[in-house]
Amino acid sequence: MLLAIMTLTVFLSALHGYRSSMAEVQQLFDSELLDKARLLAITGNGRSVGVEVVSISDQYAFQVWQGDEIFQRSSNTPLTAISNLDEGYQDVNFGRHRWRTYTWVDLARNRRAVTAERIDIRNVLAERIILKSVMPVIVTLPVAGLLIWLIVGYGLAPLRNLAAHLRSRRAEDLRPIPETRQPLELMQVITSTNDLLARLEASFLRERRFASDAAHELRTPISALKVHLHNMSKNLPAGDHDLVQLEAAVDRMGSLVEQILALHRTAPDQYMARFREIDLYQLVQQVIISSYSGFEQRDIQLELTGARTLMSGDQFALETLVKNLLDNACKYTPAGGHVRVSVATDSAGIMLQVEDSGPGVPEEHYERIFDRFYRAGGDRHQSGVVGCGLGLAIVRHIADLHGASIHLKKSSFESGLSVSVVFPGITGNEGE
Amino acid sequence: MLLTSVVIVLREVLEASLLISVLSALSGVLGIHRRWIGWSLLFGLAGAVGYSFGVAAISDWFDGVGQEVTSAVMQLLIFLLLLMFTFLVAQDPGKQRFSGKLIVLVMAATVSLGVTREGFEILVYLYGFSADLPRFITILSGSVIGACIGISIGALIYYLVSALSYRLSLIAGLGLLALVAAGMLSQAVLLLIQADWLPSQFPLWDSSGWLPESSVTGQLLYALIGYEATPTALQASFYFGGLLLLLIVAVFAVRSREQAS
Repeated sequence: MLLAIMTLTVFLSALHGYRSSMAEVQQLFDSELLDKARLLAITGNGRSVGVEVVSISDQYAFQVWQGDEIFQRSSNTPLTAISNLDEGYQDVNFGRHRWRTYTWVDLARNRRAVTAERIDIRNVLAERIILKSVMPVIVTLPVAGLLIWLIVGYGLAPLRNLAAHLRSRRAEDLRPIPETRQPLELMQVITSTNDLLARLEASFLRERRFASDAAHELRTPISALKVHLHNMSKNLPAGDHDLVQLEAAVDRMGSLVEQILALHRTAPDQYMARFREIDLYQLVQQVIISSYSGFEQRDIQLELTGARTLMSGDQFALETLVKNLLDNACKYTPAGGHVRVSVATDSAGIMLQVEDSGPGVPEEHYERIFDRFYRAGGDRHQSGVVGCGLGLAIVRHIADLHGASIHLKKSSFESGLSVSVVFPGITGNEGE
Repeated sequence: MLLTSVVIVLREVLEASLLISVLSALSGVLGIHRRWIGWSLLFGLAGAVGYSFGVAAISDWFDGVGQEVTSAVMQLLIFLLLLMFTFLVAQDPGKQRFSGKLIVLVMAATVSLGVTREGFEILVYLYGFSADLPRFITILSGSVIGACIGISIGALIYYLVSALSYRLSLIAGLGLLALVAAGMLSQAVLLLIQADWLPSQFPLWDSSGWLPESSVTGQLLYALIGYEATPTALQASFYFGGLLLLLIVAVFAVRSREQAS
């Protein structure tokens, strides 16, 4: 852009300069013609008999007239007058060329001298003179352009480096940007950015501490509540409506607190993962055994397919992941429905898939269901199931921790959701 | 001499650089990768050199009017390609899986053809003076100045169209393309009249008194909007017809893109 503006202004001014110089040079040539004509009119004595023919260069021509008779001319002019012999400049044609002429009239001696100069040669000469002044502009502009490009590129390098530095950072990396060896112009930007990063980190830390501290502190009163409820239930008739409601609410509060704690424990920037070789199939089996009662109560058919599959992972985190997926499937599958869990290995990696026959999730909600506290269809889900909307957020944390990707689609049942977690890398697997 | 060569080369370069700058700016606006520009420029330059070598043979086609007819066909093709481009932009961007590649092909073909035509004109002009060295240097200097001014104007138009908002970029880009395309159509008609393929008529008007075509402003307007000082009724009707057609499609294009965004 800078170069384009520079080229335009420089070349347009060069053209303007060329035009005015051309006019100046033409004027100079014209005044030369005038002087020559005056000189010719004065020097000729007019007494020679017949016409004196003089050989001169092709560029010039002249005629000197005494009254109506020509008495001196250059060899390249005809015997007839080359102009109309009126005083002043004229452009005329003769001898197959176009000429610029000047006629000098000496009334006292009744003499007219006409000098002529070939316009094409004169233009070439004029252009040659002027081009010498324009040429440096044409030649130096590309050099100047190259220099500007290099200098601007060099000058902008720190900015580019800063951008690359910021781009290469992980989202959770809030360390300050190094302030050493930075140009003065950038220091202000870097200082402000570092201030912002520091404030951001402090606020993240506060948020994390608040949530986990609050959850931790709430555990004890909730446990106490549960004990009191248990004691109360002995004094009340079985199935008392208020008591059932109260128990459900306390259970929900308890599970919410546990989920919040799990979410913070498994956050990739917090969690100190202890990776070791794990058989995913066996792990899934164990989780199913521990949570089977939930499925049984609701008469949900639970099916597990797959084979021994070894992978590198964190036992506690993976258990939480499978448990959350199963809890979700159990919650949203109506009584008498189906849930299918499979562990398989293919070229993409190790895939853990949980499919249910629940109502499913519309495709447009796929991205958002991993957000914290997000529940498809609002707080009161269409299924009527009460939840806190943290389960899948935790699943995503754990998947990120293992470098796994999560894919959602419709389940192979008539309705329902299929969640697949694909772990990269295989350390080994065996047949069933 | 220098000024004449500046004007002649500027006119040709400006036509090509307008096509390139507006199409590449619109590529950016529509989110299309600009790799096609390099290739189409290369194709165009190769085409210009090839056309210059074959011009003697081409001139003999169609009873000696081969060059006029070929040039007219190229300009007609550029008009049709620009119409097609605007039409593709007007399509619903959500249903563009097929036209995504087609739009790149259309742009590349337009630029290749434009560079071939304008490059050929410059090469032929320079070749005409190559035997006379002193003049050739003057002509070459003028040509360099003209080319640099043309490229600079193209670059400025590119930055201008790119810097505007999405909607204004589309309006400015498609509007400029409509003007260039209509100019191409009118030039094609003029060439076909010169080749006696279309009937010659009396000029509809004569504006050479206040804006001669040979002046710098006249030449710039010729490149930008296809200005003619003495157009015939046929030329004028093709010009305005083509312009109207492209502008109507452009309006649909802007509306469909606006709704999509």
